[in-house]
Amino acid sequence: MSGIAQKLASNQKQVAISEFFEKNKHFLGFDSPVRSLITAVKEAVDNSLDACEEARILPSIKVKVSKIDTKKDIIELVVEDNGPGIPQKSIEKVFGQLLFGSRFHAIRQSRGQQGIGITGVVMYSQLTTGKPTHVKSKIATESTAAVVDIGLDTRKNKATKSNSGREIWLLDDGEMKKHGLEVTTRMKAKYQKGRQSVWQYLRMTSIVNPHAEITFTDPDGETHHWPRVTERLPGKVESIKPHPHGIELGQLQRMLTESTDSRLSVFLRTNFSGVSTRAAKELCSAAELDVKVKPKQMNPDQIRALLESFQGERMFNGKPVKLLNPPTNCLSPIEEMLIKKGLSKTIDSRYAITMTRAPNVSQGNPYQVEVGLIFGGNMAADKPVEVLRFANRVPLMYQQGGCLLTKAIESVDWRQYGLDQAGGKGVPKGPAAILVHLASTNVQFTSEAKEALADNAEVMEEVRKAMLEMGRGLRKHLEKKKKMAKTKEKFELINDILPAIAAKSAQILEKPIPNLAGSITKIMSAVICESTTEWNKETKSVDVAIKIYNYTARSRAYTILATWPEKSGGLMTNNEHGGRKEATGVWAWKLETLQPGENITISYSLQGLEKGDWTETDVFFRGSQEIIGAMKMDEKYLEEIRNQEKIMNELNSSNDIGDEKINDEENVDQTVEAMPESIPEPAIKPPSGQSTLFGGEQ
Amino acid sequence: MAVRMSAEETKSAMQTVVSEMYDKIVKGEPPTMTLPVRTKNNIGFDRKLGVYKYGKKKSIRDATSLGSAKQLLRALHVIEFIEDMIDSGKSSTLREMYYISESWGLGKFGSQNESNNLAEDLEIVTKCLREDFKLRPEEDGARIIGNLTLQERNRRGEWMRINARDDVGDSGYGVPYNVELEKIEFLEHDINFLMAIETGGMFDRLVENGFDEDYKCGLLHLKGQPARSTRRIIKRMSEEWDLPVVVFLDGDPWSFRIFASIAYGAIKTAHISEYLATPSATYLGITSDDIVAYDLPSDDLSKKDIEALNAELSDPRFADSWWQDQINMMLELNKKAEQQSLAKYGLDFVTDTYLPEKLAELGLA
Repeated sequence: MSGIAQKLASNQKQVAISEFFEKNKHFLGFDSPVRSLITAVKEAVDNSLDACEEARILPSIKVKVSKIDTKKDIIELVVEDNGPGIPQKSIEKVFGQLLFGSRFHAIRQSRGQQGIGITGVVMYSQLTTGKPTHVKSKIATESTAAVVDIGLDTRKNKATKSNSGREIWLLDDGEMKKHGLEVTTRMKAKYQKGRQSVWQYLRMTSIVNPHAEITFTDPDGETHHWPRVTERLPGKVESIKPHPHGIELGQLQRMLTESTDSRLSVFLRTNFSGVSTRAAKELCSAAELDVKVKPKQMNPDQIRALLESFQGERMFNGKPVKLLNPPTNCLSPIEEMLIKKGLSKTIDSRYAITMTRAPNVSQGNPYQVEVGLIFGGNMAADKPVEVLRFANRVPLMYQQGGCLLTKAIESVDWRQYGLDQAGGKGVPKGPAAILVHLASTNVQFTSEAKEALADNAEVMEEVRKAMLEMGRGLRKHLEKKKKMAKTKEKFELINDILPAIAAKSAQILEKPIPNLAGSITKIMSAVICESTTEWNKETKSVDVAIKIYNYTARSRAYTILATWPEKSGGLMTNNEHGGRKEATGVWAWKLETLQPGENITISYSLQGLEKGDWTETDVFFRGSQEIIGAMKMDEKYLEEIRNQEKIMNELNSSNDIGDEKINDEENVDQTVEAMPESIPEPAIKPPSGQSTLFGGEQ
Repeated sequence: MAVRMSAEETKSAMQTVVSEMYDKIVKGEPPTMTLPVRTKNNIGFDRKLGVYKYGKKKSIRDATSLGSAKQLLRALHVIEFIEDMIDSGKSSTLREMYYISESWGLGKFGSQNESNNLAEDLEIVTKCLREDFKLRPEEDGARIIGNLTLQERNRRGEWMRINARDDVGDSGYGVPYNVELEKIEFLEHDINFLMAIETGGMFDRLVENGFDEDYKCGLLHLKGQPARSTRRIIKRMSEEWDLPVVVFLDGDPWSFRIFASIAYGAIKTAHISEYLATPSATYLGITSDDIVAYDLPSDDLSKKDIEALNAELSDPRFADSWWQDQINMMLELNKKAEQQSLAKYGLDFVTDTYLPEKLAELGLA
């Protein structure tokens, strides 16, 4: 697809906006009164989050929906943020012009837009109520806020502005607002509760934006508040150039047409990622093109040949041209700990596991999968689990069944991990919610509605792997819970019941109370582990104690292993038993032999964490005799951790290679054409179609 | 017949249970309590006694799990409680004991069912009767109408002479929970047999129609699954007065079980079968044959009914060919019928036609 914006632009001359809008409302997100409201909220909130992120401001966003005319379904929406605001002269552009916005021109992970962005909201409001959208904007350097009404002249197909002026923006507490934006608009829309609602959209947004504070006032006047759970802003994403594996014919044509390069080889090297000087030459050779061809003058056959060499259909020396992977530092995952916090603040649960996989590349597009699973608490045990899907931090609320992310969840046999699932197929049932987030520079959707991700075997496998790993985590948790209950019972038995039996029987028989040691060993006949992980308010650290009791008649020797949040910046201190690192996030202690009746306690503190960051320590053992309360070390689990470590390391080093300096003869051309390498943006701006979430079929 | 135990014998039997636990601890073992297995797989016919008794299979309840350990502790508390009652000459109901256990701390009962089962466990292990333990059931005893005379010791300790036809109202003579010699003595009767009836409706029908006088019989209302005292009084009448006993029940799998508990001994009380069961009792009806022969209004068997019938097929008490035929026939018919379905042919049909025909087969009419 070439992007709705372009479609709109090309159609603009012949078709009135209203007609265009009517024709395309299904993929613009305005096909029903319910969805229109969600779309409007989405556009406004996404803009706020993006603006705050760019300006490195922790977002506080207020959304208010009120019913103005119930009979005619007229609703007023107010979205206010604390973002940088928009300079007065740019307001009209942002709200009234269709192709505005830097995100159209760079390849990077971005929230992207539904339909045509906030302009669509302005249009929809104008068309359904005839009313313009009121915008109030304050930037930090000005003392007053700019206000303006933005509407659309449907005959001239042009934005209009009216009532523009300046006013003082006071907050509820009488203070002046420092900076921010407020959008007020009236539209034909319906407010509804449930799985597909403004509430759900904001709730989901809050989960994947733990750095944001979101307040929502619904039409009943009820206020929903999702607090900020971290002060850390998402990492700044870098723009990257397109990769030959991810480019399509139309885009390539446009890039070539707009190119000012004099040689094809230079064009290739400077406008694509992963193309070295060597690769540029090889690509030309494979396409049977001269390196000196002027890009602008290439004919359709030549362009097609070039594309075929991109895709490896035309070979160089009998092999597809080898290209470097694009760098993956353009991705900004939410990260395990923050997903956990986001989930935990939103949904009450007993257990949460989250996972950020190493970034990967599919068809020239970097992508990264993150997953989370929460279990227990108040969630319904007999209903399908809640599936929370996200693409580049944007909630996907419709078309769940047709989405790649859902299919990956369904491909797992969850029964072995402790959830119900009829026939081992479909979305599992149980008191759980599963989150999947795909971060990518080019998210492929099944349709322009952009609600379901298109099939992609590599991404599918990556999500599936993450699901399996989480499933194993859930199973371990459930087994541990069961074992802990069993251990607790055993302790109650030997500490309370057995002494009572001894005392009562001695009393009835009028005999002395017998010694219990022998009976205790026989009853327990096991090695038992009790572990606690507790937040210490005074030292602001997490204290962990692992106690091993040998209640058997023989001496026992073990290596004890425990998980700890190494990746999330935890620091292990006061670890008197020493030990060594086994793998990332797994520490090991080789214990001295425990004699019958003996016990030993391993204790340490974890610093650099916040309360709630680390609440459960998994304890494993290596040794022949089972330990109740600990799990036998699954060497596969260690292997998986090490694999991920390896991939991370490799990716980091390959990203370095991607930045290699070009230092051969072609540099001459470079200077001639005055193409400084330091410019991060490609010289030729790829059209909007392939740059962002707009990806997908052309 | 079981031998009743004296207070000292009872206490000593209980001390043995306590010693088993105590000695195990001294030896460095988990404390235990040894019980016969109480399922149909461990009941067998005792030729000498003519009833079904527990076999040799024992289960050892040891304190290696929390549940079992708690059971042992409770048993100790119950034993202590019983000793106290014996010493102070009191008695209590099982339900009272359940509430008293509130003060037993870790040894308190989780439910009334637990305290009932434990009382039975102790009976089995000590070979005492719960009457020896001074524990009374809640359960409702039967009622009897007919020309038979007995004397019951009342609350004031006086013997009261009662004729179950002339000295009672329409509800008959109420059987107390204790029907042992210290409480009830049989004096005289002028009946040919005793008929035990499952439902109150049928009992009242026979009473209203004067069936007890026309056929010179005693009528006894079982009130569903009969209480221990009900089974015990049937047993005593059958033995002491040498009376034939016929049992008239609904025609369904559950009635078969009621009959087995009367005639052969119940699985739960197999340790005292010789004391409760009346091997000479006869199943009068409703049989599977009756459903067909009298074309009785019937219901389809439920899933539970079918499970019960299949379980009965492998129950040693129903091993003879007559019962196997009846059970298999009911399964084939897939039907069950109530006693009162006989009313299809009028209110007097049961007394004028059905019962005379059935009794004639047995030579009782």
